[in-house]
Amino acid sequence: MSANTPEANIAMQALRQRMAGAQGPRFWRALEELADDAHWRETLHVALPQLVALAPMDRRRFLKLLGASLALAGLAACSSPPQEQMVPWLRQPEGMAADSARFYASALACAGDVCGVLVETHMGRPTKIEGNPAHPASLGGSAPALQAAVLELWDPDRSQTPLHHGMPATWDDLFAELARLSRGDGRGLRVLSGAIVSPTLAAQRDALLQKFPAARWHQYEAAGQGQTLAGTASAFGTPLQPIYHFDQAQRILALDADFLGSMPGRLAYARAFARQRKPPQMNRLYAVEPTPSLTGAMADHCWPMSHDGVGAYARQLAGVLGVGGVGDANVDDPSLRAVADDLRAHKGRSLVLAGETQPRPVHALAHLLNQALGNIGHTVDYIAPMQAAAPDDSLASLCKAMDAGDVQTLLVLDANPAYDAPADLPFARALPKVPQRIHLGLYRDETARLCDWHLPMAHALESWSDLRAWDGTASIVQPLIEPLYAGRSAHQLLAAMLGQPMDIRALLQSRWHAGDDEGWSRSLREGVIADSATAPTNPSAVAASVPASTTSPSGELELLFRPDPTLWDGRYANNGWLQELPKPLSQLTWGNAALISPALAAERKLVNGDVVELRVGERHLRAPVWIMPGQAARSITVHLGHGRRHAGHVGDGVGFDANALRSHRAPWREGDLQLHATGERIELAATQHHHAMEGRAPVRAGTLAEYLHNARFLQPDEPATPPSLYPPKPPGEYAWGMAIDLNACIGCKGCTIACQAENNIPVVGEDQVRRGREMHWIRVDRYYEGSAQAPHTHHQPVPCMHCEHAPCEVVCPVGATVHDAEGLNLQVYNRCVGTRFCSNNCPYKVRRFNFLQYADVKTESLKAQRNPDVSVRNRGVMEKCTYCIQRIQTAHIAADRDGRAIADGEIVTACQAACPTQAITFGNIADPHSAVSKAKASPLDYTLLAELNTRPRTSYGAHLRNPNPALEDDA
Amino acid sequence: MSDALDRAPLLAPGQSLAGVTDHVSDIVLKRPTGRLWLAAFALSLALTGLLATGIVWLLMRGVGIWGLDMPVAWAFAIANYVWWIAIGMAGTFISAALYLTRQDWRSPLTRYAETMTVFAVSVSGLFPILHLGRPWFFYWLAPYPDRMNVWPQWRSSLLWDFFAIVAYLIVSLLYWYVSMIPDLATLRDRAATRGRQVFYGLLALGWRGEARHWKRFETLSLLLAALAVPLVFSVHSMVALDFSEGLLPGWHSSIFPPFFVAGALFSGFAMAMVLGLPLRHWFQLGDFITPRHIDNLAKMMLAAGLFVDYSYLMETFTAFYGMDRYDVAMTMQRFSGAYAWVFWTTIGCNVVAIQALWWQRVRANRAALFGISVLVLIGMWFERFMLIVSSLYHDFLPSSWGMFYPTFWDIAFLAGSIGLFFLLFLLFVRVLPIVSMSDMRKLVHRLQEPRP
Repeated sequence: MSANTPEANIAMQALRQRMAGAQGPRFWRALEELADDAHWRETLHVALPQLVALAPMDRRRFLKLLGASLALAGLAACSSPPQEQMVPWLRQPEGMAADSARFYASALACAGDVCGVLVETHMGRPTKIEGNPAHPASLGGSAPALQAAVLELWDPDRSQTPLHHGMPATWDDLFAELARLSRGDGRGLRVLSGAIVSPTLAAQRDALLQKFPAARWHQYEAAGQGQTLAGTASAFGTPLQPIYHFDQAQRILALDADFLGSMPGRLAYARAFARQRKPPQMNRLYAVEPTPSLTGAMADHCWPMSHDGVGAYARQLAGVLGVGGVGDANVDDPSLRAVADDLRAHKGRSLVLAGETQPRPVHALAHLLNQALGNIGHTVDYIAPMQAAAPDDSLASLCKAMDAGDVQTLLVLDANPAYDAPADLPFARALPKVPQRIHLGLYRDETARLCDWHLPMAHALESWSDLRAWDGTASIVQPLIEPLYAGRSAHQLLAAMLGQPMDIRALLQSRWHAGDDEGWSRSLREGVIADSATAPTNPSAVAASVPASTTSPSGELELLFRPDPTLWDGRYANNGWLQELPKPLSQLTWGNAALISPALAAERKLVNGDVVELRVGERHLRAPVWIMPGQAARSITVHLGHGRRHAGHVGDGVGFDANALRSHRAPWREGDLQLHATGERIELAATQHHHAMEGRAPVRAGTLAEYLHNARFLQPDEPATPPSLYPPKPPGEYAWGMAIDLNACIGCKGCTIACQAENNIPVVGEDQVRRGREMHWIRVDRYYEGSAQAPHTHHQPVPCMHCEHAPCEVVCPVGATVHDAEGLNLQVYNRCVGTRFCSNNCPYKVRRFNFLQYADVKTESLKAQRNPDVSVRNRGVMEKCTYCIQRIQTAHIAADRDGRAIADGEIVTACQAACPTQAITFGNIADPHSAVSKAKASPLDYTLLAELNTRPRTSYGAHLRNPNPALEDDA
Repeated sequence: MSDALDRAPLLAPGQSLAGVTDHVSDIVLKRPTGRLWLAAFALSLALTGLLATGIVWLLMRGVGIWGLDMPVAWAFAIANYVWWIAIGMAGTFISAALYLTRQDWRSPLTRYAETMTVFAVSVSGLFPILHLGRPWFFYWLAPYPDRMNVWPQWRSSLLWDFFAIVAYLIVSLLYWYVSMIPDLATLRDRAATRGRQVFYGLLALGWRGEARHWKRFETLSLLLAALAVPLVFSVHSMVALDFSEGLLPGWHSSIFPPFFVAGALFSGFAMAMVLGLPLRHWFQLGDFITPRHIDNLAKMMLAAGLFVDYSYLMETFTAFYGMDRYDVAMTMQRFSGAYAWVFWTTIGCNVVAIQALWWQRVRANRAALFGISVLVLIGMWFERFMLIVSSLYHDFLPSSWGMFYPTFWDIAFLAGSIGLFFLLFLLFVRVLPIVSMSDMRKLVHRLQEPRP
C-alpha cells in the first residue's frame, strides 16, 4: 500500500496517529479535514505516493481512495505493530556481526525493591536480564523477580488493547472522556497507585494534585514499607529509611528481619553480609523469628519464637542493655545475656534490625539499641525516604469515600486492590459505586474486570521512566523495545491528563540532565545517575519512651502473613518461571501452604498436604498445611500472592488467597486463630522430599573455631579421590571448573531462574512437578541438621558436576553425551534417543528429561524471549547444565579473533552472574592463578561423592558457622 | 528321591507312529474352534487393542504418559522387557540345550516352548524401543554407514544388549521354524482344503522327506542348537550388564549375569508350566506330556529358583560384608523402605513358594504346580521392578530421592503385552502343530526298538 521507505513509514505513522481514535462518522469527517489541510496533504503524498500518480484528482476521488487506504490504518491504530522487524535475520551478509548480544542499562522495580539491570537484547529483542554492577542495589547480582521480568514482557496473557466495558476501544476515546474531567477542579477524582518509586511519577502526582486541588491520590502496597517508616517516625519523630552497612557490622541481631530475602536493598545487603563471612574473618548473626527466613537460615544462632515473642525479646534485650527505659535489667536468660554481652563488646560494629512485619515499637527499640550501641553512622545510616509514607489507612479512606459515593472517577495505576486489599476493606464491593472507573495495568486482572475502562500498560522494558533505589540512587528506565501492544506508561497517561507533552524521554532529560546531552547519555549508558544517592541525615534525637507492646496469651495460635518469596503480593502470579521456582526453604512450587511447626503437626496429627480450615473471627479459609522445621511452635504462616482469580492462564487458581484473612490494621499478624482439620488431603508440588543428609554429608559443615584450630578439619585423612585404571587425559589449554562457596550461598535461588532464562528451560507445570519432572538445570538443595524445632539449615546449589570420569558418558548407546577437550561434559540433543540411562547413572541426578513436549513451540511471543544461542529441546531428549557453553564459545570466538588467550573472569556463567553473594566462581582450573583455582585451593574445598571416583569439576566450599562460644550448648 | 517316576515311561504305552501324527495334526486340521478358545482369544485381542492404543498415545505424547520421573527414569517398561525376555530363555534352553545333551524327555515340550520363546522375545523387543524418548530413532543404536561418520558408543551395555536381542530373536526364530519344517510338510500332506495345502505347502519349503533332507535338517538343527545355547546365556548376561554397568547401589554388582540367567530360566520354566498344563489338559496330550515331564520341569524350576534365592542371599551378604554406605542403605531400603512390599512379595513368591516343590506330591499335583508357577511369574516381575526402582528411588544424594507411581498406561502396557503374547500363542495352537510330530515319531521309534 505504501512505499517502503523510512520517510513513508514516518508519514504513515503520523497519519495513523492522527486517525487513531476516529470512528464511524467522525472518521469520515477527520478524512475530509485531512484532505483539506495542505500540510497533511503533503504528508499523505509521502506516505501513499500511489495517490500522487493518480493525477489529476478531484477531491471526491481523492477521498474515495484515501478512505479505502486508511480504513485499515485506522483500525491498525488500535494496536500499532512495533517498528522493528522482529524476525531474526538468519542469512546475514558476510562481515556483518553475528547475532551478538547487546546490553542496555535500565532499572526495574520488583518485589518491593528497585534494582539497576543490564538487559541483554538479541536483534532488538530483550531476552535476558542481568544485574548492573554499577548500581548500588544490584552490584551485578539479581533476584528471581528481576530475572523473570523478561518473561513478563513476552507473556501472551498481557492485555493488548484498551477496553471500554470489555469492548476494544482506543486511547483517544479515553482521552476524550478525560478531557471532560479537566474542566473541573478534580472534585470526585481519586487516583490509586502502588508505592511511588519514580521521582518523575511523584512530580506528576504533585502536578496533578495542583491542577486538580480537590482530587486525592492514594497509595497501597500489599507488602510495603509502612511499619519500617512508621517505626523510624516513632523513634526519630520523622519517617526515615534505614540503610544498613553489613560490611561494617561484626555482630548482627535480626529481629524477624529478613534482610537477605525481602528487605529493600537485599541484594546489596547479601553481598556485604557474605563478604564478612570469609574465614578466618566472620561476622556473627543472631536471628529471632517466628517463621524461617533466608536470614534465619544463615544465622549462627536462630531462635524461633512467636511474633510477639520477638518484641518481648527486643524489650528484654533493651532492658539488659539499659536502653529506652523499658524492661528489666536483670533477665536471667543466659542466651539473651550472651547476645547482649556480644553486642556490647562490639559497640559501633554491631547492628540490630527489625523487620517490616514487626510492629512500630520493635522498630523503635531496634533504632534505640543501635543508638545505644553507637552504631548510627557506622553500621546504620538514616536517609530521608523518597516521600513521606502514605498513611496506613490510605486505602481504607479511599474505600470509605467510595462507599459514601464521594468518588466520581477512580484511576487505578498499576495496582490490583480488588485482589490484594485486606479482607476488612470492602474495595471490590465499593468499586461499582464509582461512576467512572479506569484501570491501567499489565493484565486484565481482578480490578480491571471491575472497571469500565481497562488500559494496557507498557511494560517497564517498553517505556521511559526513572526509579529511585532504596538508598536514593536514581536510574533512568529506558525502553528496550517498542511497546508490543497498545500499551502506554502511567507517565503517559498522567501527561495526557495534565496536558503535558507525551514525550516522556524529553521530560526525563529535562528533569535530570536539562541541556546536558553528555550527562544524559552517560546516565543511560551506566544505568545510574551520578551522585543521586540520598545523603544520610542520622538524627540523634531519639524518643525516650517506647510504647509497650501487647503480648497474646500463650497457647493461642497466631497467623502470620508474608509476601511470597517469588510471587511477592501476587503481581507475578502469571509468571511461570516464578510459579515453578521452588520457594526457598519449603521447596514448594505452584501454590502456597499454611506453614506449621513440627510440634503443632504432632499435636494435631497433621501431615504435609492435610487441608485445614483457618478461622480468624468471621473470616475463614481452607489451606493445605506444610510442616516447616524452625517454625515457631504456635505460629502459622501463610504467603500472599496466590489464589488469583484473573491472573492469566498460568496463575489463575493456583494456591489460596491469604488476603481473605488479612486486616488492614494488623497487616502481618492475626491472633486468635482457630485451626481445624478437614480430613481432606492434597498433594503439594515440592521439589525436594527428603531433608536430612543421612550421614552422607553432601554439605560439609563446621564452625569457625574448628577451622581456626585446623583449617583442613573437614578433609578426610586419606585422599578423597581413589586411583584410576585409566591414564590421565593430557591437559589442554583450558579446563573449565566451578567452585561454589556454601558459606556464601544464602539459598535465594537467583541462580536457578537465571539459568532458566539463559538456557531456554521450559516450565512444566504443577502436575509435572508433582511427578518429579521439573527441568531446572541448577537446583538449590536444602538440608536440615539438628532438631526440627530449631534446625541448622544448609543450602547447596547443584549444577552438573562435569565429572572427568562421567558415569553418564559410558552408558549412552549412541554417544549423545560426550566429553570435550576442555573437560566439559556435553549433551548432544540432536543425537539423544532418550534411553535415560545417563540420568539413572548420574549420582548427582542433575540430568533433566523432556518426558513430554515441555517447550512451548507454539506461542509466538514466547519464541521471541528465547536465547538464540541455546537450542530449544523437544520431547524425548535429555538435557542438563552445560556450564553455559554458549558463553564459553562466545569468549573463545572473541579470543581467537584477537589472537589471545581467554582471560580469567571473561566467562561468567548465568548462575554466577546472578548470584548476589558471588558464591559461584567459574574459570580455567588449568591456570593456577585463576580465581576458580584459588577457590579450589581452599582447605574447605571438597567434591560431592568423591568416593565414587567421578572426579567432578564442580566443587564446594564447606559451610561454616560462627557460634558464640558462650552459647556452646546451644550450637 | 522319586525313583519310581524316574523310571516311568516318557510316553504312554500303546503309541504308534501314525497315532502320534494323527493326534497332533488333528488338533490343527480337524478339531473345531472351541468356545473357550474364542473367549480367550477375545480377551487377548482386547488387551492387545489396549496395547495398540497405548502405543499410539505414547508416540503422540511421549514417555511422560508413564509414571517415570527423576530419579526413577526406568520402571515398568524395562521391568516388562526383562521379564519377557527372561520368559523367552527357557524355550530355547529346553529345546536346544537338552537336545545337545540328548535328553529324550524334551521331545513333547520343545515346540510350544520354542514358540513361547519366539513370542516372548518379540513382545519383549517392543519395550526397549517404546521406552526410548524418541523411539523413531531406535536404529541409531545400529552401526550403519552414515555420511556423518556417527557410530554408536561401544562402551554402553545398552548397545550390546541391542545386538544380543536382535541376534537371539533371529536365531530362535530360525531354530523354531527349521525344526517345524517336517511337521509343516505333514500338515500340507494331510490338509483337506486347497487353502491349507497352499499355506502349509509354502511354509514347508518343498520338504519331501528324502534322506538328503533329513540329513541337512539334522545338521542345521545341530548347528542352530549349538548357536542358540550360548545365546541363551549371552542375552541374559547382557541384560544383566545393563544394570551392572551402572554405578547405582543394587545395580553395580558382578553377580548379576549368572543371577539373571538363573532368573530367566526360573521364570521361563514357570511360563512353560503355565502354558503346558492347560495345553495338556485341553488337547488331551497326557499321553505325550507325561507326569514325568511335568516332574522334570518342576525340578528344573526348583533348581533355577534355588540359584536365584542364593543370589538374593549373596547380594544381601555382599552389601553388609562390603559395608559400602550406599549398598547397605539400599539393602535396608529394600527390607523396610517404601517399596518393601515389593521385596517381600518377591521373596514370598520366589523363595518361599517354590520350597513346596521339594515334595513329590506337590510336583504331581497339577493345580498346585500351576499356582506356584503363576506365583513365580508374578514374583519374577516384582523382582525386576524391585531391582530397578529400589535402586533408583533412593540413590546417592538424599535431596534427589523421589517415588515412582505407575499411571494407567504403565498397567495398560503390562496387561497389553500379556494380551499380545497370548493372542500370538492362541493363534499358534490353532495353526501350527503344538507338539513336534517328527520328534515324537523319533521317540516312538526309539522306544519301540530294543536298545542295543
